[in-house]
Amino acid sequence: MPVEVIMPKVDMDMASGKIMCWHVAVGNRVEKGDPLFDIETDKAAMEVEAPASGILHHAAPEGAEIPIGKAVAWLYAEGEDVGEQPSSFASVGEPTAGPLPDPEAAPEALSTDADPEPETEREMAFADGAGEGIRATPAARRLARDEGVPLASLHGTGPRGRVQAFDVREYLKGLTTPSAPATFRPETGPLVVTRSKGGKGTPILMIHGFANDTTSWAPLEPSLRHRPLIRIHLPGHGRSPKLRIRDFAMLAREVRQAFDALQLDRAHLLGHSLGGALCIALADTRERQLASLNLIAPAGLGPQINGEALSGICKATRTESLKPWLRSLVANEDLITDAYARLAMQSRSDANLRAAQAAMADVLFPDGVQAFDLRAALERIRTPTRILWGKADAIIPWKHALRAPGRMALHLFDGVGHMPQFEAAEEVGNILRSHV
Amino acid sequence: MNAQNEPEIRELSYAEAIREAMDIALEADPSVLLMGEDIGVYGGAFQVTGDLVEKYGTDRVMDTPISELGGAGVAVGAALTGLKPIFEFQFSDFAALAMEQIVNQAAKVRFMLGGSVSVPLVMRFPAGSGTGAAAQHSQSIEAWLGHVPGLKVVQPSTPEDAKGLLLAAVADPDPVMIFEHKLLYKMKGQVPGGHYTTPIGKAAIRRVGKDVTIVATSIMVHKAMEAAEQLRADDIDAEVIDLRTVRPMDRDTVLSSVRKTGRLICVYEGVKTLGVGAEISAMVAESDAFDFLDAPIVRLGGAECPIPYNPELEKAVVPQMPDILAAARDIVKGRV
Repeated sequence: MPVEVIMPKVDMDMASGKIMCWHVAVGNRVEKGDPLFDIETDKAAMEVEAPASGILHHAAPEGAEIPIGKAVAWLYAEGEDVGEQPSSFASVGEPTAGPLPDPEAAPEALSTDADPEPETEREMAFADGAGEGIRATPAARRLARDEGVPLASLHGTGPRGRVQAFDVREYLKGLTTPSAPATFRPETGPLVVTRSKGGKGTPILMIHGFANDTTSWAPLEPSLRHRPLIRIHLPGHGRSPKLRIRDFAMLAREVRQAFDALQLDRAHLLGHSLGGALCIALADTRERQLASLNLIAPAGLGPQINGEALSGICKATRTESLKPWLRSLVANEDLITDAYARLAMQSRSDANLRAAQAAMADVLFPDGVQAFDLRAALERIRTPTRILWGKADAIIPWKHALRAPGRMALHLFDGVGHMPQFEAAEEVGNILRSHV
Repeated sequence: MNAQNEPEIRELSYAEAIREAMDIALEADPSVLLMGEDIGVYGGAFQVTGDLVEKYGTDRVMDTPISELGGAGVAVGAALTGLKPIFEFQFSDFAALAMEQIVNQAAKVRFMLGGSVSVPLVMRFPAGSGTGAAAQHSQSIEAWLGHVPGLKVVQPSTPEDAKGLLLAAVADPDPVMIFEHKLLYKMKGQVPGGHYTTPIGKAAIRRVGKDVTIVATSIMVHKAMEAAEQLRADDIDAEVIDLRTVRPMDRDTVLSSVRKTGRLICVYEGVKTLGVGAEISAMVAESDAFDFLDAPIVRLGGAECPIPYNPELEKAVVPQMPDILAAARDIVKGRV
């Protein structure tokens, strides 16, 4: 008898999960406990281990949405006869999956479409309040009514996509001034969070920097594996939706909502660059839940930032134009090989992602200046805090570190650029490991 | 108007301002008398009546037996005959013992006798938490009495208003309930001399702002003011309204402020649910000011539990300055 592999329940309020990718091809052998597939729920992404050893057959296609507890594949013993699929895949439209059947999905039929359209649509319907009226404040409604703007044409930047008076005013401004690059198609939805396997005790929550993604933590992660690692993907970065970010406060709110959704009693925070600034903002409102604050070259402590490099990275459409700017991130330029730059460009191949980041840069770093100031917030923080910075940082001046209050620890690295977690991974890892 | 009208302004405590108001009322009108437990030689549970008994004698500063129901009944009866009693409860919580006289008699008689009589009664209630007096001596029950047509309910937050509202209450032909926060008794402030009144039913704008309206009552006004000062650092300009009167509520002041700021926070010490903030919120939601709201209304009220004895818990169950700060930041920055 083959072993049924089921969609696990990894979130309290999860009803179904989407298969992101299989780590093992159909017909290949997997050992019990090895990573078998990645799933994504509306809150988190996670790796699922093989429940038994065997040969993988009848695997649900990537992108398929399966209710929890239902089969996604079967593992057969070596030499066991593989016949018909023991049962068809359950679809999210089945009554067991929830009270709202998806009209697009025929009963018992599997949505083989890798395009996440149905789920995205439902998410957006919720965010925009379509079907139950548009989510808008009374003030926004009055303004829209007075100005003759149809509410449906407005993009709400408030919580849960709520249209606020601000959005109507922005819309009206847009009628007379050029809007953001036409290529940027904003999306909605919660930020994506991924987790590592294993680790014990207080988790480490990591927030990456601007125009970067969670892979920037890879060199550091081996040093931190003793703790559960949780990575937040910033909007317009990695796998998170490409939200239209209005200002730093809105970005910080998105991060806080992602943090709250995790329902952590306690966490160590680790942030790099813009992620560092977001950690400071998060600490300002959620300090009681924090065990420590670890900031690598954080933004928000002074106006200077290398705007040319940021816009260069955002604009680059080819490896050749990206590589020189990537080199400005490090002190030892030899580290940025052609292969590295190619991979980096690959992760930025989505034009809408680049447009989202360019729009975000325009708001957060207008005219190459850090438009947000977190010094007062940092001043308020009493959580044990460490700031790590490379003294050859060409993106944000390391001397911003000197503006931190005296109770915070400073670690300054000679001959290291803006990415100490990459250039001085071992040393950074040792420092963090001794505290978290 | 008092003949000895003194124009000068002195610094008095809230308790001294109340005593001065009672002194002026006793002096000016022989039908005014004070009643209450231990208000004579003892000077009152919180030393508010002080030595007034020495000046006016025990016929006009009258100790009543330890029966709130009996004392309140005598006061209501005295008021019906044309006297103007100012009745002091030792703790506002003990109003529970006198509810029959307050709610079914004082508030109703004028209506039930076709307006042929009135009850010119003033009741003073030391209220609120913060003194470590535990669950039966720390409540904020203004919303109970605010629910009764026929009563007026005021909550002065400053020495000046404590005096002005008491003199307005004495002049009022109907029963007026005054809730005095116990932690405010020692608070000092500028108080004009002589006779003046603070209008019942009129709120005061304590700080003008444009980003968020904070409507607070009693001691919460001071916490709101402190929060408003700190909010300047976040570039948030808060308007603070001291409601002063719970019934009848000053609709115009609150609504025009919300029309200006588009955001509302209600801060009050009474239990949050079905409390003063619920009334303020509903009043705004029902009015044309609704169209100006650009964020959900926030109520900061007392926790849904009796006031604990433990001082840390006692603080935790009522709104504090940082709660106001956080709420204002959240709704102005569009986080909720």
